[in-house]
Parts: sequence; C-alpha cells; structure tokens
Amino acid sequence: MKLKDIITPFSAWSNIVKKPVTIKDPLNERPGADRYRGFHKNDVEACIGCGTCEAACENQAIDMVPVDGIETTKEDSGLRPLVDYGRCCWCALCVDVCTTDSLTMSNEYTWVSDNPDDFRYIPGVDKKPWDNSEKGWKKPDYSLYDPKRVDMEEIEPDDRISNFIEIVKGYSKEQAEKEADRCVSCGLCIATCPAHMDIPGYIKSIRDGDMEKGLQLLYDTNPLPEICGRVCTHRCEEVCSIGVKGDALAIRWLKRYIADNVPFEDYKRILGLDSLPENDKHIAIIGAGPSGISAAYYLRTLGYRVTVFEGKAKPGGATMYGIPKYRLPMEMLEQEIGLLEEMGVVFQFNTMVGREIKFTEVYTAYDAVFMGVGYEKPYLIAIDGEDAEGSIQAIDFLRDVNENKKPDLGHHVAVIGGGNVAMDAARVSRRFGAEVTVLYRRRIVDMPSDPEEIEGAEHEKVHLEPQAIPTRIIKDENGKVKGIEYLKAEMVADSKGGRPKPVAIEGSETILNVSTVIGAIGQEGYFEFLGTEFLEKLEMNRGKVITKENMETTIPRLFAGGDTVNKTADAISAIADGHKAAKGIDELLQANK
Amino acid sequence: MIQEFTNTDDILKFAINREQESIDLYSGLAGQAKNPEMKKVFASFADEERGHKKRLENIQVSGQFKFNESQIRDIKVGDYLIDVEPHAGMTYQEALIIAMKKEKAAFKLYSNLAAKVEDPLLKSIFESLAQEESKHKLRFELEYDEVVLKDN
Repeated sequence: MKLKDIITPFSAWSNIVKKPVTIKDPLNERPGADRYRGFHKNDVEACIGCGTCEAACENQAIDMVPVDGIETTKEDSGLRPLVDYGRCCWCALCVDVCTTDSLTMSNEYTWVSDNPDDFRYIPGVDKKPWDNSEKGWKKPDYSLYDPKRVDMEEIEPDDRISNFIEIVKGYSKEQAEKEADRCVSCGLCIATCPAHMDIPGYIKSIRDGDMEKGLQLLYDTNPLPEICGRVCTHRCEEVCSIGVKGDALAIRWLKRYIADNVPFEDYKRILGLDSLPENDKHIAIIGAGPSGISAAYYLRTLGYRVTVFEGKAKPGGATMYGIPKYRLPMEMLEQEIGLLEEMGVVFQFNTMVGREIKFTEVYTAYDAVFMGVGYEKPYLIAIDGEDAEGSIQAIDFLRDVNENKKPDLGHHVAVIGGGNVAMDAARVSRRFGAEVTVLYRRRIVDMPSDPEEIEGAEHEKVHLEPQAIPTRIIKDENGKVKGIEYLKAEMVADSKGGRPKPVAIEGSETILNVSTVIGAIGQEGYFEFLGTEFLEKLEMNRGKVITKENMETTIPRLFAGGDTVNKTADAISAIADGHKAAKGIDELLQANK
Repeated sequence: MIQEFTNTDDILKFAINREQESIDLYSGLAGQAKNPEMKKVFASFADEERGHKKRLENIQVSGQFKFNESQIRDIKVGDYLIDVEPHAGMTYQEALIIAMKKEKAAFKLYSNLAAKVEDPLLKSIFESLAQEESKHKLRFELEYDEVVLKDN
C-alpha cells in the first residue's frame, strides 16, 4: 500500500472548509452516445397515428391523443403519441415498431422542470430543444414485421385465357397465418371499410387458428364474406399502416381464407342462426343485390319476416350478372343465398316491382320497404354510329356471358371506359378469342378500375390505349361496326384540384378496325317502377337517392341503399347500406310500436 | 345581320333576348319532363340562365361593360357527342348534352359576330360575350365529366 492511500482519507476532510465551486452547465460536456435512447421525437407529418407505439408499450407510457391542426382522414387517425416520462423506461420498442419510421429518440437525457406535468408531452407537437437533434436512437435497419406480403397464387395468363376458371387460388393455412402475422392491429382499416368490419379482430382469429370466431366477426357486419373476399374493392388496404413502408396487408385474401375454410354446413350453428326470433312485422326488399341481401340478413336476425322481390331469375344483382366467373364463381353466391333461405327469407324471383307487381301494392302491404335496385341503365357513349350492329353495352354483354350465352364478337373488340366493368368486358372478350383494345380518355394512372384488374388485363394481352377519346363508330354497308375513330388527348390540369381533364387534340384522328364496340363508361339508376305518385316524393340529387342517416328516403317507410345511394357504388358499400337500413327499419318500427 | 349591331345597346338587347330564349327552353323542358328530378335539373338550368340575363341587364342599366380578359379553357367534352332531341323522358346525361351544345352554339355565334364586325368596341363586346358562353359551357362539361364520364 502506498503512503498516499493512507493519507488521502484524512486529507479529504480539508475540503470541508473550502469555498464550494459551481461548474456552469457541466452536463454539456457529457453528451449521450450517438445512438443513446434519449427523449422522443416525432415527425408529425409522417406519423399517421396508427397507435402501434401505444399498443407495443409495456409500461403504458404512450397515449394516442388528438392534436389541434391535424385532421382525421382515411389514412390518418388524427391522433399522435403523448409520452409519459413517469412511466417510460426508454426501451425504444415504440420506435422499433413504428410503421412509418416517424418516431425516433434524441440522445438528450437531461430535462429539469419543477412541474411534473411537463414530463407528459407530445413529441413533435410540444416543441423541445432536441427536436432537431440528428443523434439518438432510430429504427434499426431490420424490421420487426415482414414488409412483403405473401403472394397469392394465380393461374398463369396463358392457362386462364381460354376458360372461366377462378384465377385466384386462395391462401393455404401456412400462407394465411404468415400474412396474418404482419398485421399490427392498428385498426385504421376499420374506419375506411364502409361496413366498418373488425378487420384486426378477424385477422387475429387466423393467428389464433379460431376460424369460427373469425366467421362470426365477418358476419357481424358483412353477410357476404365469400363475395367480398374475392371482389371487394378493398380500400381498407389503401390505408393499411404497414403499407406505408412495405406491402399493405392482404386483408381481402385473409377474409376469403376464413370464409373458405369453415364448412358451409356449420355456418348456421356458428352464427347462431338455428333459432331466430320472430315478430309480426313484414319487410319487403326490392332487389336481391348485395344491399338487399345484407338488409334481408340483418332484418331476419332481428326477427322480421322478409320477402325479397327480384326481377331476374337469380339473386346477386351486379355481382351475379356483372362479375365474370373467373373473379367470382357463382356457387359462392348461391351458397350465401341458400343460407338466407334456410333462415326463412323468402325470395320471389322473376318478380320485378313495377312489372309483375306494383310498387304501391308492396308499399301498402308491408311494414317497411328497402330498395336496393342498383345501377341498371348504362350511360351511352353518345357518339355518332353508336346504333350500329355490334355496338353493345358492357352490362348486357357480361350478363349474357354469365347466363352462358356465347357472344359473336368478331376479330377485334374496342372497349370504351376505364372502370372495373370495362376491364371485365375486356378480359371476358379475350376469353372468346378476340383481340381487345381499351380506349380510355385519361391516363392509365387515372383509371378507376382496381389496379390488379388493370394488371390482369395487361397480362392477358388486352391493349390499353390511354388518352384516346372516341369520336365516332364507323359502320359497314350493312350497318355493322367496322371501326372506331378516336382522337388523342392532352391532359390539362383542373384548376379546382380535381383529376386532370383530357382535351382532344385536333388532327390526331386514328381509326381502329374493330368488329365490336363495348360501351362501359358508367351506369345510372332507374326509378320509373315507383310510379309518378311516389317518384315525385323521392328526393334525388344528380341521380342519387337522398336518404337520412338511417337510410330512409324522403318517402316514409321506404329505405334505400347500394349504388343508387352511395358515391362509391361497390359491393361493400352496398352491404354497409343494407346493414344500416336494417337497423334504421328496426328503430323506426320499434318506435312506432 | 351585322348592320343591326351599330352600338353596344343593340348587342346587349340581342344577348338578353338569347338568354330569355334559353330560359324559355329550359322552363319548357322542366314542364315537359316526366321525372321529377329532371324537372328540377331543367328548372335549375333555367335559373342559371336567369342569372346570366340579369347580369346583362345590369350592364345595360349601368353602361359598365367589364371585358373578360381571361381565356376560358375549352375541354371539348360536348364537341363529339351526338345531338339530342328533347323528349319527355330525358335523362340527366341527355339534359347535359343539350345544355353543352346550346352553350357551344352561343359561343360560336358570338365568336362569328366578333370576327365580322369591324368596330373595335363592338368586337370586344362580342368576344367577351363569347367568353361568357364558353364559361357556361365549361360548367356543364365539367359536370358531364364528373358524373357521366366518371369511369371514362
């Protein structure tokens, strides 16, 4: 031992009489390490308020809270994380699970305040000195979830082009579970889904291997999951939080997986439909499309007697008659209708209201009426020559094909339009051996069709001709389609911020020799079946029926839903309308008791 | 015809009469339409024309003619569509086609008159009226683009 070691303890006492020395801001000299997990930062513009950080925090140190100036949108909950440093242990799991990489940590670690409330703050909103710090903890290069979705197997284009076999094969158990594992259960999708399906809930049931629970969750808000699992417009996937940095979750395919993997004969037991309540009220449904079927299902579960009037020989509306079998096999639809019949819903097919039975009779005989008549009347292209033989409408064409009629298309088909109906018409035409050109006024990126339908069409060698404005259909000497003339278009910006407008370029006339022209520019509703007395009372705006929040129209006891009411005109919105109307009818009739 | 337009007042009277003809046309179509919604559509078109007429009458009274400097973009939506004959069961699509065609015809008329007159003031007034009709046409074309051509 050295002498110094013996003396030091005693000499230290001399410090007691020394004047204290204060070093100004000494901690500036001791910064945190470059990757230190210090105070939180959040890029509030990049953050979408998914709440994954809140869910992951074991200490419940994060609350998602509303913030002034940040609006709730489809892609953004409008909430932002508030961190409580009374609970936080700076483990950084919140940063590691952040779906947008917006949440990070600075390397700052000292913060002095005599107000405890100061230590509960909203990073990025409550301004802090470390907001612009470059150092600190950031999400590691690897991801805690797989950014890539599990591919869906499909029949190859060359093998499918000559038949109507369903293209999409569906997930296996392993594939579905792997895909379900990618869900962070943020729930942004719930708000966007028109039916507000419990998407994280039914995806969890896949992870848990509990298909019965999954099916119950599906039917809570959607009695046509087999259909939606195939042809839903899946806008939920557009807002999926893991889609910000990777592929969006395959929500539609997971829904299909549940519906396809529960034996249909077990549905009634699982859904508790074996014994339904009964009351003396009788509801009429006009139209057996998705909105009508949805209304019928939920009304029947509430105990109402339900009769569905359908003008065609089969149910399903646009899904049965408009969607090709390679996208939606008919047995799926027939199976779901069978369930409704087993529940006691009465279907009167080939019974069009306004033709076989007057609307006024229906309105008088039933306690309430739901009208889900869909878009039946196509808009005309309205150009010269449209009356030629071989100039047809897509909805008529698709209906005929689904009824197993073989069309005579000739060598080359021109399809006019860029929506799903146009893509369906184009791809069905290819299956009859025709060369197909789609003429669309705008750019491909503007097409309202689902991207996978456009991609599918291209894989099947449908030629897309964007920025092409049809100007006339050319007839041969027998009045049959011989060609179509179109002008190329330039896109001009819309001063009001809408989608750019195509403007025809004079002198750019091009003639395409075609044998058939299929119009698919859109449809509108047809309400003449109501008769003048009721039609005059039905408030409408630009072809859409105006309803209250409960889907009741301006005619008391007449409810409406589906394409003729909502703006999106897709199956899931129609299903949501039918459900809302069922609740609305129930509330009305309960109140009138 | 040119000799009728010797001063601003002649032109305004002519333009006001044309707006009145439009009011009469749309009012007639509103009365003729079977569908109540179409009655409202045509009635609203007539109201728009009343607004145009009123604007011209105000100019006539005040003598203040504000020349429209900005060129209205012609998106040519109606240019290649077939003519529609008015009938009782008209659809919204047909109503919009009629309106687009009508405004286009008015635009052409004023443009032609502007080309034919030599007086710079009268020429400016005709050009301005043409621009005004072009604006009306654009309003209907945008509606057609949004509603009828939604998928196209």
